[in-house]
Amino acid sequence: MKKFDDIKRFFLYTFLAAGIFIAGCSDDDEAPEEENELEVITDVKLIFTNDADAADVVEARAQDPDGPGVQELVILDGINLDLNKSYTLTYEILNNLESPAEDIGDEIQEEDDEHQFFFSFPEGAFASPTGNGNIDNASDPINYNDTDGNGNPLGYFTSWTTGSAGLSGGTFTVRLQHQPDVKTSTSGATDGDTDFDLQFVLNIQ
Amino acid sequence: MKLVLLLSIIFGLHTALTAQDTDSCSYELKGVIVDADTKEALPYVQVNVRGTQQYLQTDINGEFHFKELCNQSNTLFISCFGYCDTTCQHFYKQGEKPYIYLKKEVISLEEVTITANRSKEKGTASISQQSISKEMLSVDPTQSLALAISEINGVTFTSTGNNVQLPVIHGLYGNRVLILNNGIKHGFQNWGTDHAPEIDVSTASRVTVIKGAAGVRFGPEALGGAVITESDPLHLKEPLKAKVGTGFQSNGHGYFINSEIAGGLKKWSYHIGANYTRVGDMHTPDYSLTNSGKEEKSVNGGLRYHLNDLDLKVYYSYLSQNLALLRSSVAHSGTAIVRAINSEEPNIISDFSYDINQPNQLVQHHLGKVEATWRYSEDAKLTFRLGSQLNKREEYDVRRNADLPIIDLDLITHDFQLEWKHPNWGRTNGLIGIQAFTQNNDNNPGTGTTPFIPNYNTFRYSAFVIESLVSDKNTFELGLRLDYEYNNVRGRETNQDIFRDEYSFTNLTSSIGYIRILSENTSLRSNIGTAWRTPNMAELYSFGQHGFKTSYGLLRYYYDEIENGKLRTDRVTALRESDVSPEKGYKWINEWRTRKNTSSYALTAYTHYIKNFIFYRPLAVIGTIRGPMPVFIFDQADALFIGTDFSWNQEWSSSINGTLGVSYLWSKNLEKNEPLINQPPITVDYKFAWKMREFWNAESSLITLKPSYTLRQFQAPKTVRPEELIGGSVVIAQESEIFDFKNAPAGYFLLDIAWQLKFGQFDAGLSIQNVFNTRYRNYLNEMRYFADEPGINFLFTINYLFNSKSK
Repeated sequence: MKKFDDIKRFFLYTFLAAGIFIAGCSDDDEAPEEENELEVITDVKLIFTNDADAADVVEARAQDPDGPGVQELVILDGINLDLNKSYTLTYEILNNLESPAEDIGDEIQEEDDEHQFFFSFPEGAFASPTGNGNIDNASDPINYNDTDGNGNPLGYFTSWTTGSAGLSGGTFTVRLQHQPDVKTSTSGATDGDTDFDLQFVLNIQ
Repeated sequence: MKLVLLLSIIFGLHTALTAQDTDSCSYELKGVIVDADTKEALPYVQVNVRGTQQYLQTDINGEFHFKELCNQSNTLFISCFGYCDTTCQHFYKQGEKPYIYLKKEVISLEEVTITANRSKEKGTASISQQSISKEMLSVDPTQSLALAISEINGVTFTSTGNNVQLPVIHGLYGNRVLILNNGIKHGFQNWGTDHAPEIDVSTASRVTVIKGAAGVRFGPEALGGAVITESDPLHLKEPLKAKVGTGFQSNGHGYFINSEIAGGLKKWSYHIGANYTRVGDMHTPDYSLTNSGKEEKSVNGGLRYHLNDLDLKVYYSYLSQNLALLRSSVAHSGTAIVRAINSEEPNIISDFSYDINQPNQLVQHHLGKVEATWRYSEDAKLTFRLGSQLNKREEYDVRRNADLPIIDLDLITHDFQLEWKHPNWGRTNGLIGIQAFTQNNDNNPGTGTTPFIPNYNTFRYSAFVIESLVSDKNTFELGLRLDYEYNNVRGRETNQDIFRDEYSFTNLTSSIGYIRILSENTSLRSNIGTAWRTPNMAELYSFGQHGFKTSYGLLRYYYDEIENGKLRTDRVTALRESDVSPEKGYKWINEWRTRKNTSSYALTAYTHYIKNFIFYRPLAVIGTIRGPMPVFIFDQADALFIGTDFSWNQEWSSSINGTLGVSYLWSKNLEKNEPLINQPPITVDYKFAWKMREFWNAESSLITLKPSYTLRQFQAPKTVRPEELIGGSVVIAQESEIFDFKNAPAGYFLLDIAWQLKFGQFDAGLSIQNVFNTRYRNYLNEMRYFADEPGINFLFTINYLFNSKSK
């Protein structure tokens, strides 16, 4: 019967060990900590301000309210500019999933050496810049009003002059590229990764 | 473990004639069985004279003595079990043929070579399986576990680049293939195609692949099969052995250093090993694969204490990896995806560098194990195993906050197993076990993004019985297992609201197997196994963009019935309120093996039906702030897999040997009658080995040539190019047929050559992979959308082996 006692002892010890062991693995029941969602952009607003009259502002909004969710992006407004005016374009870029909303625009300006805005529009839509924008060809004219530490354009501020020729139902594309270690004086709209790529209807009347 | 060492020997034995009687049944046969190495006598070895009912066990001096034999010439069957599987471990050192000596003093016999069939895990003996030895593993010490076992017919790997490779068995991978590391289920972030098991294959002494449903023995997740890695077997009475190896590979300018020391005393045995590997950017025939290097460090050690019939083993291993993923594989917008997929070459190509930048994965894995075995009688033993693992994973992505990990998880796994190999009950032997398994997954704060995988705790309690009945030429195997699993999940929504869920499953798994020895040279095995698996956390809860795809887990989306079944992702469904069910698999696998003179054949055929098979499929293109993006969901449907593996080995001469391998798999989603994506294409390979005993100054030389041809996967889903989706010329919706962004790559021919030489205490190897510098893409590599596979690679290795007892 010694063998039987030994078996009993083996079981006893192993269960004891297992018991201590399993008791040690507590069920913590903690949820992941709240994170500041740093990646998401839910709202982009294009703000065209008349250089001659700060009260003359044209705004166009794009919104993807659930960020990474399945809900569709909505372009809420068209861009309706007047003839023969000079505008400065700037932005309001927000993550509204955070409360209060997070201003991504600040971050872009801080990381100006990693970002650049690119544009496309119908050929000759503006008196200045001429052409059709620089998405197809990065060296095409765009009136960048700001530069990063390396002297390369950022585009958080750009100038636009409409001429006497009108336009209706054109497409104005604005694309923000994130180009860490990629941005150079020749890098273009297909280098790096896209932070946003939005198409608005452009009317100049 | 009765058949731990089934030594079947077939040789003419001239019996010592003690009496020249005319009575025909008066021959006697005496012998002593001793260890070939230590010349120590082996007690308790069972010896049977073939064709008679005479069974004997060697006595304490290793002697046996048969009387009243009727023939002058006899064939002996020798099998070791019970106590012997401790002592006899000397023999079956991996890859070596054991030698048993019958002492010449007692009987005038030449030495006899005995081929040992290695023991198979209980409950899997009737399932087709194959092993890879340490010798084969050491040909390329920089390779991944998955690449190493892809040598086996019917096994391949799916990958995300050249560093992250997951084993695929008969078309299944991820957590449908259980990875058993040193008897403990490898506890890691086993989801997606971009998480490979963190196991340093150069520390393994053997890797076995079980190709059938081995769920009864190993638990859920062994639905598609199991990969078993074993470390140094810790033999006793083994002279001190040390090995230092180093090598260099031309592609990626990789280098490595391996070292190990092992020794065994009378009661103690130990081994310690440490490895380091560094590889820089790999190169295709045309361009550099920017950001494809890796750095790996590992240490491991084991200790064994043997006291009478008690055996104690302690094992610890640590692996740290920094794995780079191809820089050009990251695409954050529809236009970028179009560009990346359509360009001939990756969009970002830089000069060679060892630097590892984003995207990359930093992983650390600790494993600790204690195992106690008590052989309380000759044919019975109790085994107790306790394993703890900590898996820390950080993944970095190219994004605005690239310096913060986008995924940062700690996974703690505990395993407790108690197994009883019961004494033989008549002709039945078996194994009864209970297991407890817990996992605790936690997100570390500071990723700056909503956790992709929630926090969770899993508890699983299991009990199983495996019995096998041996009757003459037939062996029957029967297994039953009961699992209870409980999960507690806590996650965050994108607006940072907490969601919680709790669910549990109880499941019965069973398997029936049959082995028939048709003749001395032919055997047939057949196994029907059921298995189940709970959907993994990524399949249930993934949400948002990871890599270049936006995906929603099974519980993350629903169809809004009020709004005409419109897809919604604004809430997380509780599992019990959803129609998500665990996967259930039924696999029937048959293997026929035969040997005829110098050739041997093995044919495996299987059919695998999986109910509620979870797969990933495209759903729609949605507008996002970054432009239109294709969206993927996890879905469930019943699926069928039918396939066959064939191998033919021919000994062309005493030194030349060739093996042909062919694998074919057909699979289908039965519900939608459409193909499944990422299924292995047909492969044909031939391995030609030329072994020379003495070559020039070397003691031995082995040259292997391995041509292989992989066919184009002609069962791939139809192709819809991303620009067709984004441009709207192809509209996909809920019920759309499955598609892929790119045609399955063309078939390709590869040639690998390896040459290994042994000079005294050195052995050296030169291998050339992809000899013709072929341009190709592998259908099972996710990077096939973006880049070619690496080109030609020269690999040099040299090992110094120190053996305190030189031969």
